[in-house]
Amino acid sequence: MFRKVLIANRGEIAVRIIRTLREMGIATVAVYSEADRTSLHVRMADEAAAVGPAPSSESYLRIDRILAAARDRGADAIHPGYGFLSENADFAAACEDAGVVFIGPSAGAIRKMGSKTAARQTAIEGGTPVVPGTDHSVTLEEARAFSAAHGYPILLKAVAGGGGKGMRLVEHEADLESAFRNAASEAERAFRNPEIYVERYVSHSRHIEIQLVGDRHGNMIHLGERECSLQRRHQKVVEECPSPLVTLHPEMREAMGAAAIKAARAAGYWNAGTVEFLVDANHRFYFLEMNTRLQVEHPVTELVTGLDLVRVQVEIAAGLPLTIRQKDISWRGAAIEARIYAEDPYNDFLPFPGTLTRLTRPMGPGVRVDGCVYDGWTVPMEYDPLLAKLAVWGATRDQAIERMIRALREYDVGGIRTNIGFFRQILEDEELRAGRLHTGFIDEFFTRHRPPEPPAALAAVAALAAGLHTVSRGRPADADSTGPRMSAWLKSGRKDLLQ
Amino acid sequence: MKLPLRINGAEGLVEILSPGPACRFRLGEGPEREADVRTPEPCVYSILLDGRSYDAHIEETPAGLVVVIDGHRFEIQVLDPRRWKRKSAHGVGEGPQAVAAPMPGKVVRVLVAAGHAVEPGQGLVVVEAMKMQNELRASRAGRVLSVSASEGAKVAAGEILVTLE
Repeated sequence: MFRKVLIANRGEIAVRIIRTLREMGIATVAVYSEADRTSLHVRMADEAAAVGPAPSSESYLRIDRILAAARDRGADAIHPGYGFLSENADFAAACEDAGVVFIGPSAGAIRKMGSKTAARQTAIEGGTPVVPGTDHSVTLEEARAFSAAHGYPILLKAVAGGGGKGMRLVEHEADLESAFRNAASEAERAFRNPEIYVERYVSHSRHIEIQLVGDRHGNMIHLGERECSLQRRHQKVVEECPSPLVTLHPEMREAMGAAAIKAARAAGYWNAGTVEFLVDANHRFYFLEMNTRLQVEHPVTELVTGLDLVRVQVEIAAGLPLTIRQKDISWRGAAIEARIYAEDPYNDFLPFPGTLTRLTRPMGPGVRVDGCVYDGWTVPMEYDPLLAKLAVWGATRDQAIERMIRALREYDVGGIRTNIGFFRQILEDEELRAGRLHTGFIDEFFTRHRPPEPPAALAAVAALAAGLHTVSRGRPADADSTGPRMSAWLKSGRKDLLQ
Repeated sequence: MKLPLRINGAEGLVEILSPGPACRFRLGEGPEREADVRTPEPCVYSILLDGRSYDAHIEETPAGLVVVIDGHRFEIQVLDPRRWKRKSAHGVGEGPQAVAAPMPGKVVRVLVAAGHAVEPGQGLVVVEAMKMQNELRASRAGRVLSVSASEGAKVAAGEILVTLE
């Protein structure tokens, strides 16, 4: 087993990986950019190394600096987390060349699956159905030609994509050029690869994915599905296991599991990976892509299977055979995860960086928080604004939803906007409760609902609290009142206090 | 002490007759009421009112107070009574339109220059925050009066990037 592992990542996933490594008795090395010196992963790790300035292209994406840090600190393996270099075949190959174990699949398997277009070809060769699209990157003119042949709407997707970055839904010809330019530019910044390919957009489809783990000795099993249909800006925000659709049609789990294993085997895959499927209104499923890394939403699989996926990843990378067989896997109860972001859900989900002035995390039965924030921390504007993942387990899906609403109610983050209140609202929705999900659910939700109106009784209490606070401060808190006026308030406030 | 306030845009009035722990207060022209009020943590008010328990968390922001109770958010401006009557009467005119950054971030591309004529929906500036790019577009046809955004510059939320005639 490894003695020391470097985590080539930041934020909540770096913290989550450090936790398992510590449980395994393995020393940890964090890396950090200039924007992250006081981030939690640096504070929690045993050792830490600086890897450059704030922009990720100059720090977390710098293969040379990450490897130099691993060498300097004497790490014998690197966990890439998700995002950044996790699906970069050159990085996996460079680790191998440097004599450091990459905790993930081989560089060859990443090449076959990490590029979305190569993965489509691998899937087609393995006999897995795919959504109509181009099997190579395209120019703007080729994208136009594809739409002329297949019609709108279409999806522009980054060849190197992930996390919804470099993805645009285009419904009209007039929007194609600007969408193409912005998708390519966003992909270039996120993945250092501006290549774009095109898929036909299937409306009212679900996004259901299969978690796989395979060792280096030819054993591969699936850990069931995750329903990831609730998305905003093509990025998942709520995930659950099991999928409510698969619960109604249990045969789908075996069929999708077998198809996923087939696609992964075609790529010579080992370690943890996820095959994403699009499921249409008739429950037919199509290969979308394979994520050759740990997924953001892996906690829901951990909660229902009882496995620690990071531990499994580390054991596989160390060359150990899988100790679990397909028949050992069972799915107990239901788990849901909500991604807590610094963003304003009622203003187009725009990011909302800033400083946390207050933080209370939910606790109690069945609650798990994978976070990276603390009171007084400033959310950097350079990175994804994910603050934490709140995951809950319940005996049934309904109980898990009730538990999630309860936990969200306990969750209090001050100083910035978050999507916590939005999750509470959407989890009350009858369509969601009935499990009738699709990838356009959140956009449609806003046509059916308005931002929640707080109860009038609470407004009265809020007014009282504001009044008490103002009296205790001795002045009104809107600060454009100047010196003499302030002291008039002070006098008046003190006089009232003496009464 | 009578405090006129604006709560999520609606006007209100709270009168604190006596602060905590045995608080007496009046809302608007309503009757005098009592509440048990403690501050277990800075900026947190534990309020027992008519047997019900409330935890009110208060944030001081440049725009006033934000009070959060049970996850419900109230934006409250406590107003100076002497300025209460002075209300601005002028509405939004047809004058120049300012396009402001919707979030703090970095300008990655400026797509227009002063003097350009723009169509509704035409892209003006692309701002990036947290790896996400947003194209700000013209909401109407017009001519670009000025461009204060420059590529690579960091901008604050609300900072004006382009003005249109």
